[in-house]
Amino acid sequence: MTAHVVATGLRKRYGTVEVLNVDRLELRGGEVVALLGENGAGKSTLVKVLTGATAADEGEVTIGGAALRNGDPAHAQELGVATVSQEFPLVPELSAAENLLLGRRAGTSGVLFDRRATERTAREMLARIDADIPVRRPVARLSVAQRQLVEIAKALGRDPSVLVLDEPTSALGPVESRRVLRCARDLAAQGKVVIFIGHRLDEVREIADRVVILRNGRMVADLPPERASTQAMISAMAGDEAEVLVEGDPPPVGDEPVLTVRALEAAGIGPVDLEVRRGEILGVAGLMGSGRSRLVHALMGALPATAGSMSLAGSPYAPKHPADAVHAGVGLIPEDRKHQGLLLDASVRWNISLASLPRIAKRGYLRPRAEKAFTDEVRQSVKVRCATQEQPIGTLSGGNQQRAIFGRWFATRPKLLLLDEPTRGVDVGAKAEIYHLIETFAAQGMAVVIASSELEELMRLTHRTVVLAGGRVAATLERREYSKNALMTATNDIPGGVSA
Amino acid sequence: MTATRTEPALAAKRADGLATSFLQTKELGVVGAVVVVFAAFALANPNFASGANLQTMGVDLAQYGLLALGVSFVIITGGIDLSVGSVVALSGVWSAWLNVHAGLPDVVAIVVTLLTGVAIGLVHGFAVTFLGLPPFVTTLVTLVAARGAALALTQGFPIDGIGETFGSIAQYRLAGVPIPALLFVGACVIAFFFLERTHVGRQVYAVGGNSEAARLAGIRTRRRIILTYVVSSTCAAAVGVLVTARLTVGQPGVAVGWELNAIAAAVIGGISLSGGVGRVLGVAFGAILLVCINSGLVILHVSPYYQQIVLGAVLAVAIVTDRLRARRSERLQS
Repeated sequence: MTAHVVATGLRKRYGTVEVLNVDRLELRGGEVVALLGENGAGKSTLVKVLTGATAADEGEVTIGGAALRNGDPAHAQELGVATVSQEFPLVPELSAAENLLLGRRAGTSGVLFDRRATERTAREMLARIDADIPVRRPVARLSVAQRQLVEIAKALGRDPSVLVLDEPTSALGPVESRRVLRCARDLAAQGKVVIFIGHRLDEVREIADRVVILRNGRMVADLPPERASTQAMISAMAGDEAEVLVEGDPPPVGDEPVLTVRALEAAGIGPVDLEVRRGEILGVAGLMGSGRSRLVHALMGALPATAGSMSLAGSPYAPKHPADAVHAGVGLIPEDRKHQGLLLDASVRWNISLASLPRIAKRGYLRPRAEKAFTDEVRQSVKVRCATQEQPIGTLSGGNQQRAIFGRWFATRPKLLLLDEPTRGVDVGAKAEIYHLIETFAAQGMAVVIASSELEELMRLTHRTVVLAGGRVAATLERREYSKNALMTATNDIPGGVSA
Repeated sequence: MTATRTEPALAAKRADGLATSFLQTKELGVVGAVVVVFAAFALANPNFASGANLQTMGVDLAQYGLLALGVSFVIITGGIDLSVGSVVALSGVWSAWLNVHAGLPDVVAIVVTLLTGVAIGLVHGFAVTFLGLPPFVTTLVTLVAARGAALALTQGFPIDGIGETFGSIAQYRLAGVPIPALLFVGACVIAFFFLERTHVGRQVYAVGGNSEAARLAGIRTRRRIILTYVVSSTCAAAVGVLVTARLTVGQPGVAVGWELNAIAAAVIGGISLSGGVGRVLGVAFGAILLVCINSGLVILHVSPYYQQIVLGAVLAVAIVTDRLRARRSERLQS
């Protein structure tokens, strides 16, 4: 049987960084191909090239014998490629049936909306993947798994020959995941190419006919299922350079605990026990959906705790709002800089002083000169490069924006700093500077918690790493135990996930 | 404040800073427009710049300007307040009712009316923050209901016979300047200090700029939002008192559509409808521009129908400018 999808000589660079370099990849109808790799290994770039979402610098993709116009998603759709990912969300207020037929028309009544025909067609579409979903119910009231099935049914609406499932189970519990996986298997049995991007190795083992592993943009393994043991997959993802990365030691750790967490529970996490000491940098690892961000938000009071207790520097700590956390001496640098971190239209000054306003002001009065002097001092200490502090922060580079947010929190002299993906979207040089900043903070006695999906980052910076799975601490690794292999094994060892 | 040093270099630097900050003032456009429009009307008809007309404009300005100031607070947080016109009508007749029918002394009636404004704002604020209702819908309810309450309270007839002190608010002048105009100037100064010189004011801007970022930075966003609705409704209640004082009767049918004038003045003055942007100086001049245009057209005997068209055109220019500014900042960010 000839391959349905053939990619040859694909190359893609962003600046000086090569993110994709794949010589030849063939995908046949009837097989589920699992695509594996760490964050930044090139999985998503490869898929984006295959689905036309991104143009490759070099190379060619043919689908069913026809050459795909480079970077033309509409053409890819014509050739029969469909994608299920979080990037094309459903409309929550519309019913499942209306979502399934969005942009198409059912029935014969011309301009009028034919509810009965719409619902009938929707039921047929769902029946094809054996999903029993109330088609009249608004999507907002469906469970996460049901929504996922609606998305798959919707993607199948155009009867594609290639279906891309981008982390379809990351938000699902074990039972629901199983259902989605079985659906993927059935589709392959109908002769379609199913590309499955996954993180959970147990799932990959369960459904894949082939496991393609990427590292640094290259295909490093193409394993048949019998050879795809968990250990083999991890070794291929981690590579040989794993041990070299731990170099030098982070600054020494003090004795007094800064944060103590006992049996903390919040939506999707817990019970969690933790302790972070003065000057300690604690890593939080875990797969997507394991509760990394939730944990950090719960520590900040941004996600309400439902049980358990915490203490900060010896005093009880029960933040009900981030304001309580800031008051107690805790800061948070969130994952999504643009939506959770910055006032994009506002100046560098407004962004830096944001968390310190009550302290800069005297009896509520914010003296302009005091605020400017304050901002200048902070700006220099974290080296934000900008023309003036009045420049809108949105015009700065990602690295500079991130340094400004570090400055915002550093200026509050927190006892504990929480970081969620602290180097997302910053370039390599800026990354090194941010690492240096974090080390400087810790050396001054601050306790730091870093939640990150980048294992190198955790290995480079942290004294200790807790691995989350299903919202609980599944393993704790000390720095001397660090290797990429060990961390990956720890993050992947645990089946199941957050119950939805 | 500490004593400032007066070294020449420092003084020069400060002068330079003043010059640049003048040029960077975003409100230059609306200030310029006021100057041009004022000059044009004054040339077209000398009565426009006469003392009597300026005094009438001063009282008008107090009404539109106070509403615009209040609404600006809400818009800065990314919300909207459609209720202010109806709240003016309700508090106008409510103050008269309290004064005439309930027999409360003038000052007490006015204070109770202002407190009623506070209460309306609290209801709006709680509905928006704790119930998560959209500001548009929440205040639309009040737009309808408060007008109805004003009519019900009076059965559609004006309430006559308010006290002398009450009526005098709108009639007395200080050095030729009507009291309401002075109140407006005072309100502008207070609003300026609050929004631009206090940390709570800055937090109000932050909530409008990015409420999630503000929350995660430890700002109690709900309290800030509630506060702005209280400011808006209280301003509207104050305007209701001024209107009743001016007419010397409580009229349930006044201030129809004033919410749109107020929002227009705010937007013309540079308050961005997407929140987080805009200053008191701009709002003040936005209101002055509206009052100039209205008064000028009346003096030139232009039909009231055309006045609406002109107002619409000015508003369109302001909104397009606001949009272009937003798009420019988005471009810079990408």
